[in-house]
Amino acid sequence: MKTKTISKLYRTEQRYAYLFVAAPVIGFFLFAFVPLMYSVYGAFTNWNGLGQMKFIGFENFVNLFKDEYFYKSMYNTLFMMIGIPIGIVLALLLALALNRGIFGTNTFRVIYYIPVISSIAAVSILWQWAYNGDYGLVNQFLALIGIDGPNWLQNTDTVKPALILMAIWKGLGYTMLLYLAALQSVPKSFYEAAKLDGANAWQSFLHITLPMVKPVTFFIIVTNIIGGAQIFTEINVMTPTGGPEYSSASAVFYIWQKSFGNFQLGYASAMALVLGLFIFIVTLLQFRMNEKSSFDLD
Amino acid sequence: MNRKSKKMFALTMSALMTTSLALAGCSSDEAGADGKVELTFMFRGNPEELKAYQATVKRFEEANKDVKVTMVQTAPDQYDTKLKSAIAGRKIPDVFFYNPAQVKAYVNSGVLLDITEAVENSEDVKLDDIWEKGVDKYRFDGKTLGEGAIYGLPKDLGPFALGYNKTMFEEAGVPLPDKDKPYTWDEFVDVAKQLTKDTNGDGKMDQYGTGFNVNWALQPFVWSNGADWINEDGTKVTIDDPKFIEALQFFVDQQLKHGITPSIGETQTLDTYQRWLKGQLAFFPVGPWDMAAFKEQLKFEYDLLPWPAGSTGKASGWVGSLGIGVGSTTKHKEKAAELAMYLSADQEGQQALVDAQVQLPNSMEIAETWAADTSIQPENKQEFLDLINDYGRGFPAEKTYTAEWYDEFFKNIQPVLDGKTSVEDYVKTAQPKMQKLLDAAIEQEKQAN
Repeated sequence: MKTKTISKLYRTEQRYAYLFVAAPVIGFFLFAFVPLMYSVYGAFTNWNGLGQMKFIGFENFVNLFKDEYFYKSMYNTLFMMIGIPIGIVLALLLALALNRGIFGTNTFRVIYYIPVISSIAAVSILWQWAYNGDYGLVNQFLALIGIDGPNWLQNTDTVKPALILMAIWKGLGYTMLLYLAALQSVPKSFYEAAKLDGANAWQSFLHITLPMVKPVTFFIIVTNIIGGAQIFTEINVMTPTGGPEYSSASAVFYIWQKSFGNFQLGYASAMALVLGLFIFIVTLLQFRMNEKSSFDLD
Repeated sequence: MNRKSKKMFALTMSALMTTSLALAGCSSDEAGADGKVELTFMFRGNPEELKAYQATVKRFEEANKDVKVTMVQTAPDQYDTKLKSAIAGRKIPDVFFYNPAQVKAYVNSGVLLDITEAVENSEDVKLDDIWEKGVDKYRFDGKTLGEGAIYGLPKDLGPFALGYNKTMFEEAGVPLPDKDKPYTWDEFVDVAKQLTKDTNGDGKMDQYGTGFNVNWALQPFVWSNGADWINEDGTKVTIDDPKFIEALQFFVDQQLKHGITPSIGETQTLDTYQRWLKGQLAFFPVGPWDMAAFKEQLKFEYDLLPWPAGSTGKASGWVGSLGIGVGSTTKHKEKAAELAMYLSADQEGQQALVDAQVQLPNSMEIAETWAADTSIQPENKQEFLDLINDYGRGFPAEKTYTAEWYDEFFKNIQPVLDGKTSVEDYVKTAQPKMQKLLDAAIEQEKQAN
């Protein structure tokens, strides 16, 4: 681009390039940006999804911060994120195991990846059956080792752990695959050097493996938190009323109920806006923290 | 920006605008290129229902050669979301199923078309022959539900009756219930106690009187005790009425005091439903939509009886419904109304649905013949018709703008059923919360007008 004369071929190619770039840009503009702005405006109205929108200022937000179910659903959402660190540790352990080239590696990879590509709605129905108090697989299994399992999805104490367990199972394969790729890109020479220096397995894991996969860990944490904040489908399928005493209702579930159940799209938009800002701030903080603690190898 | 990128920007913008124009183009729904009237019909149902409705639509197309119906069908649990998105986007289907609880909201916001004239002048639909209560659910004059213009016809009516395991009664030597005289609550508990037992002698109960789900079975007890969730004009939540408390207490006591239901750990609906299928429960609610499954799966005989009666001495119960409405934005008002009427009242279509045993006939004439047909189990199908004609009611939230206040009642009720919270304490804390939501719904309705 520095030369003044640009070849004709280059120019045509450039034009085509712009066209290709235009497709996703237009797509984003039409299907993400415009609806987003519309919903931001909606948050300041009493829109019921059927009729006119009337501007009411911050009324929705004032009501929102007095709404006990909003806090409850936010709490539930945060609570269910406990599954994220557990999932990451498990996935890393699995990836380490599979990376050693043990017998049947490929089979295991497939087994762990199947939940990832399965439809979340179908998987939720399966788990709903598995969690059934009387006939569920989970309790049948527990009965084998002499434990009388609870009615998982109907009990305030067990419904969230049950959903967390399922989320971990569902996400494990994806996280594991990312870690596998990261592990395979760690130069073998590092380990050799460490060995020569007398490092044991734990030391080389702590000082070579972990730092080397850190970018992947960061990516996983960020995407999982964004995804976790938007958990909805499994809750809608497995506990259609939001669970016993609303104890499994997530923020998105509450938003959905308000908008499509009770004609309060304005209020729901306000809630979505708050949730969106929350995700944005958390992600921003993560990037800041990551910058502080990151280092360059070279 | 240099000149080139300016040009590209212009190009991009024009591409963008063309795309949005093209998209907008898709939405206009003039008569198709071949001069046919095109209608969209959005509906839901289980696989058997969907099949039956597809066949009915096919027949409608054959009878009206100039009409082409595009069917949009979804699973029941996604239907409301889809319909509401369509409405919010002002892409109202020409003909669609909707819940009677939404009549007010939809009429106020101009979503539904007034089809009174079409229905009254129709030759095919005999208004006198469709359940009056069914049509009334879709009447609204702007103030009172059940009066004025017709904004839809019932797809069906769903009376929720009480069933009993006849075989179990006979084996235990317990006299069969009278189909015309409801049990009192005490009698009900008595009979249920006689039938709650350990049949195989392993020291654990394996046969119970009943096992009701509070969401669907509390209403008959509350109503027959002379109480309700809401007052007559729909402005006040009345769950702190002593009559209401008494009914809820009786419901809770079935498990906690009388022990006529499976224990706390086993009360999930699915489980009591499974237990009923296995023949372990003496009493269980039965809707017309259950008949196909029960015919196939029950290894015992069952029949219907009136719900036990509280202090009013009269049985009660709910009658659900789903409506077929016409969208106000339709380009073909007459044809759309015709399709709606055809779906609701077409004799052949009704017969197909009845044969599939997924719903009651909308035609009173067919219904009566059907009820008298002793070859179809249960024998006392008249109970369904009595619920519709005589003692059944709609859900409390049908007369309010939204159901949020009503849902609130059930959201936190589990501790009451488990005996961890007393009934009095519960209604005391729940009433103000529900009242607040009801007030908000009333306010919302005013603003929408």
